[in-house]
Amino acid sequence: MTKLFERRLAPADSPLAVAGTTTLALFAAMAVAAIFFRYYGVSPIQAYFGLFHEPFATLHGFGYALVRAAPLALVALGTIVSWRSGFYYLGFEGCFVMGAAAAGWLSLSTAPGARLGPLPFALFLPLAVLFSWTVGGLWAGLVAFVRVRLGGNEVLISLMSNYVARLFLQYLVSGPLRAPGSQPETTLLPRGTWLPFLFPGTRGHAGILVAVVAALFVWATLQKLPLGYELIVTGFNPAAARYAGIEVGRRMMLAGFFAGGLGALAGMAEALGSQHRLMDGISGNMGFVGIIVALLSRLNPLATVPVALVYGGMAVGADAMQRRASIPSSITFILESLAILLVLASDILRFYRLNFSVLGRFKWRVSRSQDPA
Amino acid sequence: MKLTLEMKNIVKRFPGVLANDHVSLTIQAGEIHALVGENGAGKSTLMQILYGFHAMDSGEIFVDSRPVHLSSPKDAIALGIGMVHQEFMLVQTFSVVENIVLGLSEGAGMLDLPRAASRMRDLSDRYGLALDPFAKVGALPTGVQQRVEILKLLYRDASLLILDEPTAVLTPGEKDRLFAVLNELRQGGHSIVIVTHKLNEIMELANRVTVMRDGRALGTKSVRSTSQQELAQLMIGRDVRLHAVKLGSRFGEPILRVEELCVADDADVEKVHGVSLQVRAGEIFGIAGVDGNGQSELAEAILHLRKMRSGRIFLAGTDATQMSVAERRAKGISYVPANRRQMGSVTEMTVADNAVLGLQRRYTRGLFRSVRDARHSAHRLAERFGIRGAGIDSPAGKLSGGNLQKLIVGREITCGASVLVVEQPTRGLDVGAVESVWKELLLARQEGKAVLLISTEMEELLNLADRIAVLFDGRIVGVFDAPFRSVDQIGLLMAGIAPSGLSTRLASQENRT
Repeated sequence: MTKLFERRLAPADSPLAVAGTTTLALFAAMAVAAIFFRYYGVSPIQAYFGLFHEPFATLHGFGYALVRAAPLALVALGTIVSWRSGFYYLGFEGCFVMGAAAAGWLSLSTAPGARLGPLPFALFLPLAVLFSWTVGGLWAGLVAFVRVRLGGNEVLISLMSNYVARLFLQYLVSGPLRAPGSQPETTLLPRGTWLPFLFPGTRGHAGILVAVVAALFVWATLQKLPLGYELIVTGFNPAAARYAGIEVGRRMMLAGFFAGGLGALAGMAEALGSQHRLMDGISGNMGFVGIIVALLSRLNPLATVPVALVYGGMAVGADAMQRRASIPSSITFILESLAILLVLASDILRFYRLNFSVLGRFKWRVSRSQDPA
Repeated sequence: MKLTLEMKNIVKRFPGVLANDHVSLTIQAGEIHALVGENGAGKSTLMQILYGFHAMDSGEIFVDSRPVHLSSPKDAIALGIGMVHQEFMLVQTFSVVENIVLGLSEGAGMLDLPRAASRMRDLSDRYGLALDPFAKVGALPTGVQQRVEILKLLYRDASLLILDEPTAVLTPGEKDRLFAVLNELRQGGHSIVIVTHKLNEIMELANRVTVMRDGRALGTKSVRSTSQQELAQLMIGRDVRLHAVKLGSRFGEPILRVEELCVADDADVEKVHGVSLQVRAGEIFGIAGVDGNGQSELAEAILHLRKMRSGRIFLAGTDATQMSVAERRAKGISYVPANRRQMGSVTEMTVADNAVLGLQRRYTRGLFRSVRDARHSAHRLAERFGIRGAGIDSPAGKLSGGNLQKLIVGREITCGASVLVVEQPTRGLDVGAVESVWKELLLARQEGKAVLLISTEMEELLNLADRIAVLFDGRIVGVFDAPFRSVDQIGLLMAGIAPSGLSTRLASQENRT
């Protein structure tokens, strides 16, 4: 007999199936979170309206959403490059910090009277991208080197290296780069080195464009270049990769260099686009949240920017909600966590087939039984 | 102890496939019953139903004429039915006896290993299993691990043993050992079902044989009243030549030359000691030998998948000793590894992606990969080699062993290499797939490629090779020219026994090599 839910041998993996189950999971998360809103005496509908209205229906809020999304998307892209190459790097907090430090230092060097002197932005930006990419790339590449040549465990080493990077920035902002004053932070970066704002009157800056370009770059590399094919083969099956003439160690180190570079761009975008100075804790955990964005994007580079936008937007909406309706923004953290859990768990749904014919039969039976004649 | 089993009109449907179509099977007490059929004929499904792993859609099962209901492997073992899977279910870090008692609840919550070990020893002695209860399973060779699996079932009082492709992972010596154990068990009244597609083994071991094709049982025969040819015809429904047709070939210059090669394994133990050989264009050079005598190390060193300790390798006259894998491939060598799923393919990627594995830098247009060319190549391979079971855009892991192997062999043959290193090309394949792989290897030879064929199947080497070298303990101990009249001598050399009077002839042949 056909069952309503029939188990599939392989998961349905069409884009429609993935999008459908993901949407379902998001709605389920929202339904559960609604209970918490009720608890605070707020109508869930109003709460959700508030949550999404601010970031996605006001220009001001959207600008903030873009600010949050850019570094998240960049870290997510770094995650995708390294994880798909079989290099399970978790050191994006460190890359973020190193990238921010590199960009900030370069920016400060262009202040009038500083080492380099003022540079035109068109020259400064490529320099900044190149410099922070290289610094972050080497930072992560070092971990890859230890893994490949010495057999170290990249998960542990990369997690630990986050602390080193963080302490390094702490040293910079409380020592050599410290601005005169009480706070351990640098002076405001020279205005000429800020990433341009996209819409007048909002905080949205060009970092999101960097993220979009990076997403296309990563997508093209992985999907379109022989190099990307080699990275993916390395990630799935190193023995087969060696067999195919691929230098597994070199590919993995390259993946580390890419991942670190992308993570560093996230730090650069935050420093040059949003904070406009360096301070301790500049990363604000984005090096980890970005990994979540990568997971929610199912390691698909093109999905990172939209997912980061939704994720960043929800954070903005949560702040707005807290200001307006004094609902603790921690509820949105609960909502976000639920969303992550359920989206990742929703994979199981793709293993089932819904037989609508069963519903049809049910109706038929009902109508028969209602027919006394 | 004795148990008869009847399965009647078993039907099992998977989405899109009728795996078992009214299959009936009777197993008598104390018989070895072979269940044969090509990959996908429904043998495994039937056995998994019997083992309680799958629920059948309809049909009946009787044990000693009583109807039984099997809804889990637990039910099956309670009725005395146990199964040894192709992949062993053993905890590698546990000792043999710990694996044996794992999952049992003997005694009052206390683990009495010495008692279990003594019972285990009794069983082991009775059936000639020769197992040490306190040996770590991870350190045991495959054949011994398989005996641990069998003992696990005997310890649970199983009287019907199902063995799924038991010899696929065994060396010839281990195979003989297993057959001896199975004979002991039969004498002790156990019933045994062997799922296999190696016909010679059936003739050697079984009492009766049931042939399956396309989900149906085509009938049960006594082994005495049938022949390999008849079984093969039943299995695949068309005539099979178990003997390949080999045309004459003109041998050209040596294209692959290996000189004094020494190679160590992962544990840094030297496995190949000074092997020299030459393979000429248009020649299939066979390497015979029992598994584990250095074959894999030899092949991997020729491809540079493994570092060599010393020696030199020449490809088409050029010294390739210092070349990387990619450089050697570019120089015109390709390789069909023994391990299809772990090395020869990336099972998570599509068939089309796998069709260009190793050729990824060649299937490009400008800077970019050409997915169209890759798919085109996959189409060509699927057509020419008859690869069925999954579309070119579905994961290669969905292909059965035989179809995956055809994909790999096809890719390596058609990539334009002049030297082909082939390792165990037909291991675990059904008759139809073996035939088509053989045909392609002979075709490659006809085209003037130099083929180094490493195989543990004598039948394969005798059918295909122009010369056979016997590899024993990492050394070539004899080289024979086709036609091979001295099969017995090859066998003795494989077993490490030097036939008297052969040494002088050997020396002269080795000089010629």
